[in-house]
Amino acid sequence: MTRDELGQALRAIVGPRGVLSRASELLPLSADGLPTYRLPPSLAVLPSTREQVIDVVRVLARERVAFVPRGAGTGLSAGALATDDAVIIGLNRLTRIISIDPVNRLALVEPGAVNVSLTRAAAAYGLYYAPDPSSQTACTIGGNVAENSGGPHCLKYGVTLNHVVAVTVLLPNGDIVTLGGAEGETPGYDLLGAFVGSEGCFGIALDITVRLVPNPQAVRTMLADFMSIEAGARATSAVIASGILPAAIEMMDGPTIRAVEASIYAAGYPADAEAVLLIELDGLEAGIDDEVRRVQTMCTEAGARTVRIARDDTERARLWQGRKKAFGAMGRVAPALVVQDAVIPRTRLPDVLHTIHEIAARWNIQVCNVFHAGDGNLHPNIAFDPHDADATDRVHHAMREIMRACVDAGGTITGEHGVGLDKLEYMPLIFSPESLDAQCRLRSVFDPERRANPGKVVPIHACREWLASPAARALTR
Amino acid sequence: MTADTAVRARATHDVADAVKDAAARRTPLRIVGRGHWLDAGAPASPATPLALDALSGIVAYTPGDLTLTVRAGTTLSDIAALTAEHGQWLALDPFGTDDGTIGATIATASAGPLAHAFGTPRDAALGLEVVTGDGSIVRTGGRVVKNVAGFDLTRLFTGSWGTLGVITEVTVRLRARPDVDETWVVALADDDAIGGACRAALGAAAAPIALELVDAPLAAALGLGKSPVMLLRLAGAAAAMRAQRDALRALGAAAVGPPDVWQRLRAAEPPGSTVLRLSHLPDRIADTWQVAGRLPSAWRHATPSRGIVRVIMKDSGDTVATVARAADGRCTLIAERAPAAFWLAGPTPMPNAPLAARIRAAFDPAGILNPGLAPDSAPPPATEPTDA
Repeated sequence: MTRDELGQALRAIVGPRGVLSRASELLPLSADGLPTYRLPPSLAVLPSTREQVIDVVRVLARERVAFVPRGAGTGLSAGALATDDAVIIGLNRLTRIISIDPVNRLALVEPGAVNVSLTRAAAAYGLYYAPDPSSQTACTIGGNVAENSGGPHCLKYGVTLNHVVAVTVLLPNGDIVTLGGAEGETPGYDLLGAFVGSEGCFGIALDITVRLVPNPQAVRTMLADFMSIEAGARATSAVIASGILPAAIEMMDGPTIRAVEASIYAAGYPADAEAVLLIELDGLEAGIDDEVRRVQTMCTEAGARTVRIARDDTERARLWQGRKKAFGAMGRVAPALVVQDAVIPRTRLPDVLHTIHEIAARWNIQVCNVFHAGDGNLHPNIAFDPHDADATDRVHHAMREIMRACVDAGGTITGEHGVGLDKLEYMPLIFSPESLDAQCRLRSVFDPERRANPGKVVPIHACREWLASPAARALTR
Repeated sequence: MTADTAVRARATHDVADAVKDAAARRTPLRIVGRGHWLDAGAPASPATPLALDALSGIVAYTPGDLTLTVRAGTTLSDIAALTAEHGQWLALDPFGTDDGTIGATIATASAGPLAHAFGTPRDAALGLEVVTGDGSIVRTGGRVVKNVAGFDLTRLFTGSWGTLGVITEVTVRLRARPDVDETWVVALADDDAIGGACRAALGAAAAPIALELVDAPLAAALGLGKSPVMLLRLAGAAAAMRAQRDALRALGAAAVGPPDVWQRLRAAEPPGSTVLRLSHLPDRIADTWQVAGRLPSAWRHATPSRGIVRVIMKDSGDTVATVARAADGRCTLIAERAPAAFWLAGPTPMPNAPLAARIRAAFDPAGILNPGLAPDSAPPPATEPTDA
């Protein structure tokens, strides 16, 4: 089947407006927010119903065509881009929240349902969906499942993995399986756990059952500001070690604070500070103010100049807006922004942040740190001009050194964005050949032909057994 | 076929050598921690024991990170003693005693009452070292609390009952021990009061870290009176306690219970008991409880928020299998331990058996690791059942 014939076959399923094949209309699908990767696809299909998704995948299976499932394209790891002439299957037309069961605190949604729309729908029952990536106004639940997404409040409430109870999966060969289950325990291997975070390599989620949590009785949001990033890191370590488990501990460094304060998202952060911590405590009303005082004391002892407690919901929302829109605000600094996602042991925050600062100075680049300090999940952002070849080269060198420093500190290369294409080269830093090969073995169970999101997550040379298989030989011929 | 000499591993490479050797000779291995779970009573073929009890001790512990890496044979009691020195704990309380190992807890994904608030081993495990069925030493996850690098083999091996690999090292998330940790006992009138009591307790302005129902005979055995009871474990800072206690008193006649009641509940089952778990949606708990009540000479306890009723049967003749299977249509049935007759009545239906079989073949191509154990859906080998 030629590419044109394939397009015709897909149009027969989804209608003429559901297939994109012109370069101009495919342009928005060529990136995912990381400026360093741009891979225009040659064909994309946008099904509107579950049945259409199934029919599309079965045609692609029959024709042995590779595909890339894509949600909102906010992943920041180049995971939702088409390599090897793969067809993009855009799932963001399947947006339904199918049902909410307030008694059992469960919701059944389609993969393209937007994260925040679920929380809005659940609000009527005093419930919400806990994982809250900064992109939550755009990102989809299906994308969250693929990436095992986090967010500021995952410190206390856990990541996507801890909130998904069942997924109906369309395997790359067109078979449909249900992994996990809402109605009691599921015997057998934890295939649901294996699927969450598989970055679109194991199949497509047709529907997803997630757990909802009740709105906390009380919420307190506070902002502590420091004259050094190390002092903020010390305060974070002190709070974590104390046993108080805040809903979130977010840190922004001086360059980030100044970018936010100069933008339309100005949140009232002290512009001369070198670090602010945004700390949120939630839970029962009883005892929460006592915890606020203890956290306040720990921040002051670590060197905080002031600790401000939001008086009402308006002030609270404003403090959070600065954090959630920090990436947008950095657009003021330079035309492009690369963001990393390493995680380090929390006691290593002060020294690793210091090392990142040194690396940035050595390569003469500007790093803005805005991150989930409570989890040790760093997001060093480097603002640069992608048309400046020298600057781009220095950014790449600095990124590699930063990643190496995080791994050397006992950390990992990604906490919530996924490996995608962007972090493939770092996988051998943290996994031995045997460990990478074991991941390949799992992938081959779900997708023996390697047609689902090919070329992502595990470097192909690490897949020893698969490379020797007839399927691999057929592909490389 | 006779079992070869048992291997007692002291290091990961001992495990890798034993597995490679067994794979080459296609002789099955039975992986043993402290020997508490073993085979769930299933009729298992003779296999060479691979003992991990000597593969124990701390690998890494930085209290400020609230993470701990230990060798798989380390007991839960050793972990509790070590972490308590730093005001921390591993919030997993699988049924049995703390003499069990962390490796077995992860391998069987065993959880207890604390799962109400803190989840199960899949939520606590951050990374593993595993020897797969070909003798490869594989690391999964890492030692940090948030990690999406690569496919999630940590979840795959957790609860795989040693049928995909031998867990040799475990990294877990720890929590700070609460200042106050107290247990309240709320007496319930009878079984009919259970549904309402669960709804009231789960909606109360309290955040218990465990909430467990106990039926009247088991309550009596635990010295908690003659009626069914609800046990609530309150924990946290002292300042948060008073309002929570008030909320509990609104549920009924609440009194402070003995602090060791959880250990006694976890160790309640007499040796050789049959233990089944029945589960469904949380709001079906009263129905699931009733189904469980039809099993012969049973004790029941339940975690309502998870929809799970656990049934302990002291006299477990052939009737158990029949009755348990009759219950199966109304809820999910998982056998923790059952007589051979139960297992021989036919393989328990496993969801996604074809995928599971392919996973098994990918990680244990020679089929030597714990053959016959759940969740291995392969039929038991055609040899004489033993009481291994």
